[in-house]
Amino acid sequence: MHINAKKKMLRDPWLLTGGILFFFFATASIFGSAICPHDPSAMEFTPLSSPCAVHPLGVNDCGQDIFAGLICAVRNTVLFGLTCAAVSLCIGVLIGLTAGWFGGIIDMLFMRLADVLLAVPAIMVLILISALFQPPPLTLAVILALLIWPTISKAIRAQTLIVRESPHVRAAVQMGAGNSYIIFRHLLPELFPLYLIGFSGKCRMAMFMEASLAFMGLIDPGRKSLGMMIHYALKYYYLDIWWNWLLPPVLCLSLLIMTVTFIVISLEKMLDPRLRENFGESSA
Amino acid sequence: MMLSSRRFTKKRISLLLAYSLSALLMIWLSYLLPSLLPGDFVTAMYSTSEDVTLTAAQESELRAYYSQDTGFSEYLLKLIRLDWGNSYAFLTPVSELFFEALPWTLLLLVSANILAALTGFIAGVEAAFRRNSRFERSLVSCGTVLEGLPEICTGVILLAVFSLYLGWFPAAGAETAYAELSFQAWLLDVGHHLTLPLASLVIAYFPGNFLLTRTSMIMVISQPYIKTAQAKGLSGLRIRYAHAARNALLPLVTRFGLRLAFTVTGAFVVERIHAYPGLGTLLFNAIRLRDLPVIQAIVLISSIMVLAMIMVLELVYAYLDPRVQDAYQR
Repeated sequence: MHINAKKKMLRDPWLLTGGILFFFFATASIFGSAICPHDPSAMEFTPLSSPCAVHPLGVNDCGQDIFAGLICAVRNTVLFGLTCAAVSLCIGVLIGLTAGWFGGIIDMLFMRLADVLLAVPAIMVLILISALFQPPPLTLAVILALLIWPTISKAIRAQTLIVRESPHVRAAVQMGAGNSYIIFRHLLPELFPLYLIGFSGKCRMAMFMEASLAFMGLIDPGRKSLGMMIHYALKYYYLDIWWNWLLPPVLCLSLLIMTVTFIVISLEKMLDPRLRENFGESSA
Repeated sequence: MMLSSRRFTKKRISLLLAYSLSALLMIWLSYLLPSLLPGDFVTAMYSTSEDVTLTAAQESELRAYYSQDTGFSEYLLKLIRLDWGNSYAFLTPVSELFFEALPWTLLLLVSANILAALTGFIAGVEAAFRRNSRFERSLVSCGTVLEGLPEICTGVILLAVFSLYLGWFPAAGAETAYAELSFQAWLLDVGHHLTLPLASLVIAYFPGNFLLTRTSMIMVISQPYIKTAQAKGLSGLRIRYAHAARNALLPLVTRFGLRLAFTVTGAFVVERIHAYPGLGTLLFNAIRLRDLPVIQAIVLISSIMVLAMIMVLELVYAYLDPRVQDAYQR
């Protein structure tokens, strides 16, 4: 069963494309500073000079190397997405398992809280908070995570309710296993595919939001990010430099979001038990 | 039957309660957060900005505005009375600015959503009926690729190609300024300005609608009643739209409510790229000028509008589909 899934995963062209692109972005953001000798925030070059051997993408209006900025921006965006996804996954899984396993009043409280948070437009809260307090980006990522865990925990809870009734869990209960033992040794590993889906889905959402917030000028202007590069380059679109200044961040952002989207869509197709078994009934 | 309808209403009421609670939560956050600002936030916020210089009077007014503690109920009342404070950059009441920009945003959002839902729905239905054909595969691939394209990128690309390079569409505004046109010419002019932002949004919303309709249609057409309809010799169009597609419509409605907040943000970004004079551009300028009351009002009122919309959809949904009652019992 598992071997089949692996084979199927390797054969899926979307996942493969997504994986290769992801690998590319990961290497670019880890080893990027080694490839590019310039400091992304140093303002020491001739402003608005066109691409040459030293500056592969030219120099922006305040004399910063665009290529170095681009690498730094990709790293920042990816980091924001991963942080937010990791935190929201932890919260979502913990709450989903707890609510599904214990049921009763705990379940009701958590799920009502989830309903309220699901309705809150997360991006609006982020706009408000970042306009008022201008917090560091990673704090924003954590605040975003605190708002978007409910979809993960609802999926996990629904699946926990099914796994709870399966023979091996019942047997464990019969043999006197405690709550935490069952949650961490039986339920937690069994629902692993859902974590992958949740993680990549939230990562996509977070990167998208980071780009929108940065584009609106809500994230510290000293920190390079793709949204902000687009924001500044757009001011100069009438000059003939949009292909070396505006286009690279646009392409990078599209490719980045596409990468994660491909991974999300193919993972959902393969691993989501709701889609596999009773496809279509999404009223969980 | 009695029992089922009672349980159904209970679930419904608890959902509506959740929506009202989250609306209250938003209002409360908007009330609470400014009072948590550190004492000298005015200096901190405006000293680093090259776009705004406050006079001493404005500075003290701003401090006073954010240090007054009126109480939550008073805040609510003010909100209802459309008394949202004054803008520091434009020196007009915030509500005036808001209602000036709102129609343009609504025009853009509503038309984009209708267009994207229609095209996505029809494409999804047709694709599902031609499953595993080349047409379906290429459409699904296209949809998946487009799904990964954020509004910022489509907006910028469309702007660069159609307005800067080809010059077919205007790069900014919602109507030609100071052109005294007849009504018909004015409509054409508005449409001309609307095309690019509308196209960016439709391209962003279409793939989600399409992929969702396709998956739910594939479920629906495996049902026996479709076989029956085919056996009766009904025409393909009739089977597709009168029998099958109706049942695939519902996930689309649910998803619409859940994604509404994102759609609004997407519209804000696109408005800014095409300099369309809606709420997004207003918000963008307010952020640049650090015009806190305007930012607060836009964020708060648009979230309340989103919530109200979701609530209405939730009510409509129950009337659209009698099966919802069963679904809620699980």
